[in-house]
Amino acid sequence: MNEQIASIQSSALELIAAANDARSLDDARVSVLGKKGTLTLAGALIKDIPNEEKSAFGQSLNAARTAITSALEEKQNALQAIADAAALSGIDLTLPARSLQTGGLHPLTLIRDEAIQILRRMGFALADGPEIEDEYHCFDALNTPADHPARNEKDTFYFNSGKLLRTHTSSVQIRTMESATPPIRIIAPGSAYRRDEIDATHLSVFNQLEGLFVDTDVTLPDLKGTLEYFFREMFGTTTEVRFRPHFFPFTEPSFEIDVKLQIKGQAPRWIEVAGCGMVDPAVFESINATRKDNALDPEKITGFAFGMGLDRLAMIRWGIKDIRLLIENDTRFLTQFA
Amino acid sequence: MNISLNWLSKHLDLSGKSISESSDLFTFAGVEVEGIITKGIASDKIVVAQIMEAVQHPDADKLKVTQVDAGEGQLRQIVCGAKNYKVGDKVPCCLPGAQLPAGFTIGETKMRGVESKGMLAAAEEIGLPKGEDGLLILPEDSPIGVPVKTLFDSDTLLELEVTPNRPDLLSHAGMARELATLLKTPLINGNAGASPASSIPAATDFIKLEATAACPFYAATRIDNITVSESPDWLKQRLTSIGLRPINNIVDITNYVLHETGQPLHAFDAAKVTGALVIRQAKDGESFKALDESVHILTSDDLLISDESGAALALAGVMGGLDSGVTESTSSIILESAYFSPSGIRRTSRRTALSSDSSYRYERGVDPQGVLPAAALAISLLESRSPNDCITQAAGQIPPAPSPVALDLTKLHHLLGNSISTEAAEEILTRLGLTKQAEGKWVIPSFRQDLTRHIDLAEEITRVHGLANVPSRFRATLVPTSDVDAAYDADMILRRRLAALGLYECQTIKLISESQLSDILPLRALQDGDLIRVKSPLSEDHAIMRPSIVPGLVTSAERNARQQAKSIRLFEMGRVFRNAGGGKAIDQESDSLAILVTGNSQPSSWAAKDRAADLYDAKATLSALIPNQTISLKPKDRENFTLGAEIKAGDQTIGVFARLSLKRERDLDFISPVFVAELDLGKLRKLISNKSQVEDLPQFPGSTRDAAMELSLTTPNADIEAVLEKAKEPLLISYECFDLFTDPSGQKIAADRKSIAYRFYYRDSARTLKANEVDAAHQNILKLLKTINGLEYR
Repeated sequence: MNEQIASIQSSALELIAAANDARSLDDARVSVLGKKGTLTLAGALIKDIPNEEKSAFGQSLNAARTAITSALEEKQNALQAIADAAALSGIDLTLPARSLQTGGLHPLTLIRDEAIQILRRMGFALADGPEIEDEYHCFDALNTPADHPARNEKDTFYFNSGKLLRTHTSSVQIRTMESATPPIRIIAPGSAYRRDEIDATHLSVFNQLEGLFVDTDVTLPDLKGTLEYFFREMFGTTTEVRFRPHFFPFTEPSFEIDVKLQIKGQAPRWIEVAGCGMVDPAVFESINATRKDNALDPEKITGFAFGMGLDRLAMIRWGIKDIRLLIENDTRFLTQFA
Repeated sequence: MNISLNWLSKHLDLSGKSISESSDLFTFAGVEVEGIITKGIASDKIVVAQIMEAVQHPDADKLKVTQVDAGEGQLRQIVCGAKNYKVGDKVPCCLPGAQLPAGFTIGETKMRGVESKGMLAAAEEIGLPKGEDGLLILPEDSPIGVPVKTLFDSDTLLELEVTPNRPDLLSHAGMARELATLLKTPLINGNAGASPASSIPAATDFIKLEATAACPFYAATRIDNITVSESPDWLKQRLTSIGLRPINNIVDITNYVLHETGQPLHAFDAAKVTGALVIRQAKDGESFKALDESVHILTSDDLLISDESGAALALAGVMGGLDSGVTESTSSIILESAYFSPSGIRRTSRRTALSSDSSYRYERGVDPQGVLPAAALAISLLESRSPNDCITQAAGQIPPAPSPVALDLTKLHHLLGNSISTEAAEEILTRLGLTKQAEGKWVIPSFRQDLTRHIDLAEEITRVHGLANVPSRFRATLVPTSDVDAAYDADMILRRRLAALGLYECQTIKLISESQLSDILPLRALQDGDLIRVKSPLSEDHAIMRPSIVPGLVTSAERNARQQAKSIRLFEMGRVFRNAGGGKAIDQESDSLAILVTGNSQPSSWAAKDRAADLYDAKATLSALIPNQTISLKPKDRENFTLGAEIKAGDQTIGVFARLSLKRERDLDFISPVFVAELDLGKLRKLISNKSQVEDLPQFPGSTRDAAMELSLTTPNADIEAVLEKAKEPLLISYECFDLFTDPSGQKIAADRKSIAYRFYYRDSARTLKANEVDAAHQNILKLLKTINGLEYR
């Protein structure tokens, strides 16, 4: 009997070895271990074996089953390994990707958002005003004399209605103070217009960011601290910031702000980035006259204002040499900010 | 304004200050330095040295080791490679620290192991014209140790931008006065002896002042027996140093006095004046020919210097007349020195577009007390005149000095964060020429007409004190979110979504041209007069406020297509402008979003064939932008476009969609369709602010059934959707179109028919549906769809 089992085992192992796919391996399993498989049938013979030989027969039967089962398992693993390898063969990691559309925000949006994020951390809320303005909000209320050069038709776009395109976002200061009461803490990003021929450094329509803080205890240290913080957040915490005395009709004292920056391949130098100053009491007086109250009493209320050119900040930040790149929308330029 | 440092040095000791120190001085006075032009030798550290010894360098054939006397008490060892000198010669010696025009600074170094403490220089190395090869050999009598720059004409020209509130700085003397204050150094009196006579006779015979409002004070000096000739060298040099061209002694003196004192002067040829000078308003329509030969028609607001014949001799304070000026044959002049009202000059200059160094100063306001001294200085420069040749008369009143101004110390210390003492603050005002009166009031000098209020004094103190000396205070405030904040945040969400959907954000100019109007796609079509045009555009390209962003995107797409961009997907957000009442109502500004899609649907790759983006690609972008809404297009024709449609979010119209007309696409050389959309940003912001409660997830499974339909090619899909919406079948949860087939050849399906397949989802929220229930609902749907004309099931 043992010879018979040995023969079943060896032919089973041959079948398993010959199997070359999952299908033929399963056929081999069924032909040996299935209901009518050779080993199963041989096992059924145990009932005819004399009792004293039953134990030895059982043992050899089990040994054969174990050997065949493990051969099956081994072969199955080997076949799976071959199939797995085949599934991955020919895949070329170095072939280029399929294509997906990419998109991105305009650099001006990026710089504007960065500036807004910094100022919001300090508690400035956004404000807004019309771009088609009247002389009152653009000039008169901002303490700009009637014959001031900026009011020239050579420098400012006027309409037949007598209105004009605001020459700065400072008009939003007036719009805000006409209705709000202190504390007023606002920033206003927006377009401004000047009759400049478009060239590498000028646009007739450009982008500014205005800021205003009006309250009972606003001082030069507040102006200085706020703007130092802003520009250090913008250009790095160790950035040097300086305030040069300057003149604007609607602030006094007034300053221009420079930051010391190192542009690639150049020595560090002072670069003008903004104008600022303490709100001129004449501005408060003129708004009080419009409001017909004394909500902005210049004896009690002080404030500071600042304004900066966002196009210019973008040019500084990314080393953009020609401002026209910001309005031409060449995707070869825009993809660099995606 | 141009300032010569040499000229300035006549008033102020600037020695020992480097150019950059001087430049900083101006900067912190509030004067912007726009340019620095150095002529000749700049550095003080290049001095005359005598070569006392020269021996061969031990390790270099071409070098000598020299000992030079630079006037320092001991000899200085310098290694030198030049050959053209002999011991005893005097040469320029650049001491350590000397900055050379080439951009480097001399230091102490070792050359081939031998110490060298400076450099002996050739002419071109120190900023002089190139001379013979080798060292510049200086004259034998050159004093040892003095800066070489003193032996040559050298100067630094500063181009300065003076703010409009500081006319007192528009001269060398004025600038020197300011710097002396900042430096706390005394002024050198450069023009001693030029003080005016103590009493000027009132005008009797040669001035008739009629317009006292526009001209409060007018002085004139008649000078006879003059000879018009070339100016002396020193005068010519002064003028050329600030970039002016010398003309003749009379013109040059007036120019010199203007740049020295800030007071403009004007010289008339006395022979061309009939009777007295008459200072009067022009007559409306009166003509004036300026010395630049331009002709101007004046108004009664303009001030003229005329004479008793009525001739217009000069446009007061702005420009002389062509016919009244000094020529080579002039033998008598009338020299004007006046105070004109600044606003009058400003208006005339603006109206006539004429400006001059004189009008620049008059319109900002000259020092009333400087009018007569300037005339006296000019006369003193006209070489020894006999007193009889010179008669000065004056008319009007010198404007009074500004009223004293009170300084509020409480406010001052608050403003400056208590960073300055009262004494230091008052000392600054005193140095600036103000005098303290009783009761805290300050007397203002005549040249500072800009100081009229407390805040003006506070500004002066702040400026001189410097913001660097003021502490910084950091504080934040709690502020509620404004509507503008909410709109901004929504816009940023939309922008980021659009970028993620593969669109690039653009920024275009808000002024557009007439020719771009065919591309406008405003939410509501415009009526006549709705366009807002600027009165005097810079060019026809930027003449109209954009009523729509689409034209800007079309131009941007065109530019990108020219640059061979294959797939162009752009958007822009921003203001659009229109007058809603055909020009009669107020101008309206609103925020809009525009989208443009053209070119390939995807960038090219090996994995897929290129395909031009079609209507459905464009529509997909709109749908993905607001995924919580059903976006549909409702056909509505738009002029100049094809495939015009309203964009609907549910029932709400949120924008306009269209394809450029095929002719427009051809005209602009687009090779694939150009789809554009303009959306109402106000409505989009509301749609994306999703505040609704979440829906529970379904608890029970649903079933699907498909339907393949054949119908006329021209039956719109909207007809199917209309039936499905109208059906109100309670079990129908959703449906989708999953296949569309047409065959223009007519082989697989008639050419005028299309096959369309839908999948329907049925579900009950409360239980699992049985198959026959689903079938019943589906049959109901199929029955309703069958009512569509020509629909057959396949």
